[in-house]
This record gives sequence, C-alpha cells and structure tokens, in this order.
Amino acid sequence: MTLASHTRCLRDVPSRRRFAWSTVLLWSVLFSQVSFAAPPPEDVPEGTEEDLHIQAEPIGPWTGLWTRQNLLGDMGGLRPWLGKYGVSLNINETSEYLANLRGGLARGGAYDGLTTMTLDVDTEKAFGLPGGTFNVSGLQIHGSNLSEEKLGTYNTASGIEAQPSTRLWELWYQQALLNKRVDIKIGQQSLDQEFMVSQYGLTFINTMFGWPGVPSYDMPNGGPAYPLSALGVRVRGQITSSLTALAGVFDGDPLGNDPNNLSGTNFNLHNSALFIGELQYAINQPAEGDMDVGKSQGGLPGTYKIGVWYNSGQFNDQQFDNMGVSLASPASTGVPQQHHGNYSFYAVADQMIWRPNPDQPRSIGVFARVMGAPGDRNLVSVSANAGIVMKAPFKGRDNDSVGLGLTFIQIGSHARGLDADSGDVVRGSETAVEATYQYQVTPWWQLQADMQYTFNAGAGQNPNDPTQALRNTFVIGVRTNITF
Amino acid sequence: MLHLLSTSDDRVRRAHAARSTTRTLTTKHTAASALIAAAMFGGLLESGTVLAEPIGFLETVHRHTTLINTVPDNGDQNPYAIAIAPVSVGQVKEGDVLVDNFNNSSNLQGTGSTIIDYHPDTKQMTLFATLPRELKDCPGGIGLSTAMTMLKSGWVIIGSTPSNDGTADTKGAGCLVVLDNQGKVVSTFVSPSINDPWGNMAVVDNGSTATLFVSNAGFGVGSARGAHPVVNEANVLRLDLDIPEGKPPVIKRETVIGSGFGAQADKGVFLIGPTGLALSADNKLLYVSDAIGNQITVIDDPLTRDTSAGTGRQLTAAGLLRRPLAMTTAPNGHLLVTNALNGQVVEIDPQNGKQLYARWIDADRAQTPPGNGDLFGILMTPQGDGFYYVEDDVNTLVLAK
Repeated sequence: MTLASHTRCLRDVPSRRRFAWSTVLLWSVLFSQVSFAAPPPEDVPEGTEEDLHIQAEPIGPWTGLWTRQNLLGDMGGLRPWLGKYGVSLNINETSEYLANLRGGLARGGAYDGLTTMTLDVDTEKAFGLPGGTFNVSGLQIHGSNLSEEKLGTYNTASGIEAQPSTRLWELWYQQALLNKRVDIKIGQQSLDQEFMVSQYGLTFINTMFGWPGVPSYDMPNGGPAYPLSALGVRVRGQITSSLTALAGVFDGDPLGNDPNNLSGTNFNLHNSALFIGELQYAINQPAEGDMDVGKSQGGLPGTYKIGVWYNSGQFNDQQFDNMGVSLASPASTGVPQQHHGNYSFYAVADQMIWRPNPDQPRSIGVFARVMGAPGDRNLVSVSANAGIVMKAPFKGRDNDSVGLGLTFIQIGSHARGLDADSGDVVRGSETAVEATYQYQVTPWWQLQADMQYTFNAGAGQNPNDPTQALRNTFVIGVRTNITF
Repeated sequence: MLHLLSTSDDRVRRAHAARSTTRTLTTKHTAASALIAAAMFGGLLESGTVLAEPIGFLETVHRHTTLINTVPDNGDQNPYAIAIAPVSVGQVKEGDVLVDNFNNSSNLQGTGSTIIDYHPDTKQMTLFATLPRELKDCPGGIGLSTAMTMLKSGWVIIGSTPSNDGTADTKGAGCLVVLDNQGKVVSTFVSPSINDPWGNMAVVDNGSTATLFVSNAGFGVGSARGAHPVVNEANVLRLDLDIPEGKPPVIKRETVIGSGFGAQADKGVFLIGPTGLALSADNKLLYVSDAIGNQITVIDDPLTRDTSAGTGRQLTAAGLLRRPLAMTTAPNGHLLVTNALNGQVVEIDPQNGKQLYARWIDADRAQTPPGNGDLFGILMTPQGDGFYYVEDDVNTLVLAK
C-alpha cells in the first residue's frame, strides 16, 4: 500500500437535501397507501410490506450523485472499460480563493487552481505481471499566485500555488517483491509524495505543511516536489511489521538542464545527485498477519520518521565570495564561495492523542516536524511545523476535520549576515499560524475554510525593497476539492 | 461495505509552490551513477508471527496471498459473498470460488449484479453470471449480498439486498435468486419472511433436498438519514428445499428459527444486521453473528425446530469482537469470524465460548482502525488448510494459508 495511494478514508455520506425532499415525498405517498390498504399480519415484521412494493429503477448517470465516491461515477462506462485493462483514472480539481486582509506586499485576493490527472496501471490485470504498478500524472495549474504577488512571505499560503502551466508530473514504474515486503520504484518521481510526510499536516493549506521550508528553499529549484519531479530510484523495505525504510537517489536539480521547460519533460540527469533516506516507525499500527490476544487494546496509533538527504552539487555561500569577502562589499569579486554538497536532517511525528471510542472516527492527533540545514550555504537553516487536528469534531460529521497549525522558518546565518552587510533589514524567522475547517459535502466534494496569520512576514523584510520592513499578513480563504 | 477509492487530493495537499533561490553548479557526480547505490539497498525481512504451541487455527496461517482483482468487465465493485463449487458442472469446476459484487461500476451499494468465478487451478477469473438489475420478480431488483451458495445439484442460490440509489433509503425487500449452472436466472424466492437476505448462508445439502439458513436484516430499518434507530426485527430463516431431478429447487417449508436481532440502516455501510451463520459439525447448533449486539449466539436444533429461538443463547460477546460479520468453521471446529470495525478475524472455541485470539488479515492504514469496513465474506478452502476472504475496499480475493 503506497502512502500516496491510500491515505484517506472517505466513508461518510453527506447531506443530500434536494434528493432528500423528493425521497421524503415519495415515501410519504408509499407509506400512506400501504397503511390504509391493509395492516400487515402480526407475525410479519414491520416494514415488510413497503419493501415488497419497491420496484427497481433504472440506474442513470445521475443516480446516487450525492452519495457516490466520484462526481462522474463510472464516466459513462469509461472507468469500467479502462478497468478491464487494469487502468484506473483519477481526476481531481482543487480551486481556492485567498485574500490578504492586511500587511504584506498588497491587500486583495487571488484565485488559483490545480487539476490533477493520474493514470495507474495494475500490471497484473493488464498483462499478468503481479506486483507491478505504472503511474503517470499530469498537472494543469491555473490562476494567480497570492503569496508571490501580495504576501511576500516565506511560509507561502497555499501548497498548490505555482507557475501556471500544463505539465507532466510523475512518470514511474513500481514493482513489489518478496510478498510485498520490498518495492522498487523507478522513474520520474515527486518526493513530497513519500518523504517527510506528516499525515496530520496534510490537513492544512499552507505550503510548508506539505513539502517543508528547508527542502523548498535549499534544494535546487525547490527539489523534486510538486509541481516538479526528478528521475531516480526509490527502494522501500518493511524491516519489521512496524519499521519501514525508504532510500532513494534522484537527480539533484529537477530543472537544472533547462529552467525554462514548463512541460515537466526535463528528465535531467546531469547536475548533481540527491540521496535521501527515511526510517518510519509505526506504533499501535498492526501489520497483516499480526496476532492479537486482546492485550494490545487502547494504544493510540502514531508514526515517527527520521530522515536525511544529501545533495552532491556545489552550493553558493549566502554571504561570502571566493576570497572570503562579503558579497555586499564593493571589494567583492562577486563570485560566491563554493561549498561542496548540501544536507539536512529531519524528524516527523504524527500521534493520535485522544479517541474516546476506538470504533468511532472522532479523535485528536498532534504532529510535529523539524529539520535543519547548514546556514552558510542555505537561505533557510531551520524549518518546523506543529499542530493539532480533530477528526469528526461534530456529531454526524465523520469526515470533517478542524485543525490549528503553526509553521516556522529560520533564515540562515550567512543570509542574515549579508542583510547586515548590505544595510538591509536583517531577516530573522517567520511564523505562520493557520486555522482551518474541512467540510465534506459529499464523498467527492470538500470545502475548506481557512485563516492564516503570518508574524514577521518575509522574516521582517520587504522582498521588493530589502531596506523596508514587511507588515504581518492576515489571509482568509476558501478551497474546494472535487474528485471527478 | 462501502468501497473506498483513493483520492488524489492528498497529492494536492502535499504539493508545494516551487520557489527557490539556490542553484547548484555542475559536479562530477551524476545522478545516474548514484542509481546503482540505491539498487544495493534491501530491506531485512521479518518472519511471520508464530506462537509456541498452536492452540487454534489462525496462528498456523503462514501467508496472505492476493489472488485476483474481483472487478469484472462491467466494473462492478465491492466483493461480498464467497461460495465454493461442490461439484463440476456447466462452466464451473469443483473447487472454483464464486464471489459476488454488491456495488455497480459507480460504486453504488445495493446495485451490484455480477458473480465472478475464480479458478484456483489456472489462477484465472471468468464471469459466472450477470443478473438483470431490474429483475421484476425481486422487490427492488438486484444488489447481490453476502448470502450465496452453490448446491451439489449445481444450482446457485444468491441473496439480493437492492437499492435504487446506493443507500438504504431506497432499498427493496429483495429476494433469493436461483441460478442454473450457466449463471441464468431460473426463479426467485420472495416471501414476507424474506427482507434483504444479508448474511452468509449455512447449508445442509443432501442432493435432492437441502436446508438453507439465511439471515434477513431489512425489516423496518428505513432510511440511514437523520436518526436511524436499531430495529430488533431481523430474523434467521430456515428454508427446506426440494430439488427434483433436473428441476430447480423449490421451497417446501420456511421457518423462522431466530428473530429479534438488531438491524440498522447505515450511511457508510448500507445495513448492519446479523450476518454470519455457521453450523456445528453435528448440525445440532447454529451459530449466528449478531453485528449490532456485538456477540455470537447459538440456536439449538436448527434443522428440526419449528419455533423461533429468539436471538438464541449467547456464546460470546465483545472482547475481540468488533461488530462480527461473516463466519466459517475451521477444521478444528473453531469459529472464524470477521470483524466489521477492524481488519481482524477472530477465532472462537464454540465448546466453551472462549475467544482465543484474532489475526489481522487486513491492516490497511487507509482506514481507522486499519481494515475498518473492508472484510466481509470468509470461507474455508475445501482442503481445510486455509481460508478465502475478500478485501472489499480494494476489490480483491485473498487466500490465507
């Protein structure tokens, strides 16, 4: 089971008012007819007569619209037709309107959206090869970028903001081996799908709860993560039922060979290599085949991850030139000092802390994620996230979530030094607090209300005029997510 | 239970805006050369959990092998019932595994109409039957449930718990459908005592006669919207069948031998009610898994009694049980019961009602608890060396042995 494919459980069925009223009318007619006609005999349980008079109705394209998993159902037969060949098709649209109410670069709102299309092929169904999965996905990114145009923050407001484009995203083949204990994935991959993931963190809209600050700012071009990806190999092994290891090597700069390529077809293998490894330890999470003698009840599930990455490229010092003079100095050669390689360590924790009834979805979980990278060659030396998420906060709202999260970015020491050398506002750290509510309208439709307040925006410095400060920002917005 | 599709919205949430001020310079190391290093990586393997002295059946299971994806060409989903062919007849071979589907290709519950046939010898799957969804003789049409059996005479009898919109709001009373060995509908059983034949069947098959036990969970459960109380009207029905040579079975007598079981409409899983039925080796006891009551009960003299035993005697309750569903009997006489609310199968010694332990047969972390809502049908292999079960969230038939 890949992290990317089965992460959420959309189990509830939402309100269906329009449909409900018509059904109520229909039933009231049926009930009245039956009850006046003839009361059922005593030994026949109640409800039998009505049920016996229900006739099958044809199933059309709109049947069950408000309760089914996908807006388009079986797509007029396309999904089952693809299914015959082991192909599954997923299309998802995320759209949002976010508005900055104060501070930052400018006030005002912006719309942006993302269409994701994914094709998966089960090679066993397709041509009899067990354990193989082929995956290709594409992105259509539209709208404008609030964070860039109006905020100027480091903790950018939305994880889907990116340059408008239509592009290939991932393109890989995965083969499971040894009864699924090991799998190998080869091809163009987006690392944010498997590495450094905090499940609870995914509740939030702010970018940094997804692919975090350190890799976003310190890896070349943000690293192989949405909307980018890179060629590489990833091996995953289940060491014990609770311990999983991931290790991969990828190209270190997804855009290194052609930064102007907007179609996702760089397929770069030239600049540097990115090595990444992660250990994942699951507690109170059973594995297939585990025996339960009734003593392990009550422990709440959690996942703990530690990881490291290393990029073999050369990295510019953020403050000094190759003669050791500040790059801000008129005497500087203007050629930054070079550092060989770049690296970061990280840790992620997701832990459920409260669940009044193990058979009910209501629960509270907390998460934390922290990582660091050397401050001489990196803009961001520390990034961290933490937060709390409650699932099913209200009765009958099993698939809603409410969360409060905090995300933090620390500007590296040499970048700060250069600020001081240049006479600019010296950047420090930026912290954003996000409060959000995810409302599951139907299984295929989610609405999310969101508020974000950013302290010391731009780490205190206006990116358009580094000598000026930037006021704290306050963003509100709403996101909608539709599974077609 | 409700089949779940993975959503790609998580990918979106993991997404980030690529924004970086750093650039690498060229280096001698290339990613290509480094790929080799990663290929050297391999995970250590953990051997299966084995307890010292086997006290039951489940600990002797070595591995779980996914056999097939059960989705037929029409896209039906959500595999429910499992039946094993007792004879070779028509297109079916002895030992074949029949699996029905509760959902259609849009994943609407109570609208599935297909039965697939898994051939263990060739490891291939074929379509055994597609029932007409709007079958007029069946109130509400067709939505194939966990009630299915194949008789030695080659007839297949299957339950329908139909819906017009994928929810219990529009459910019909359904029926039992008799199919010939080519998968063609030959007759239906409709009666005031049949309302959503839901759970797995227990069967005594004597060739020219047969006795079926089936639970009916649809009486008065109404809509799943708003308050949807538990209705204590579900029954266990005994059907004594005559099977004249070359002719389809007919009901000689129907007797309600259990009644007053709780049932409830449900937004997520359509219907909750008594589901598992299993006979003791001497056929003198019928075990019933009472999902709402979270217990296993016993009905005495199921073959001969002519009155209802109510919900029967309690054999065991709660403990490892988490809304028990389908049930089968291991070679040691122990009951194996799947849980609805997690991915476990529980082993129970019916002699003393002791729950020995449970085994995780579905640990899918996409659900909370893992495997929640995935398990339904379970059936021993003819050799008794393992059991078949379905994982309905991923539409697969799995063999544990």
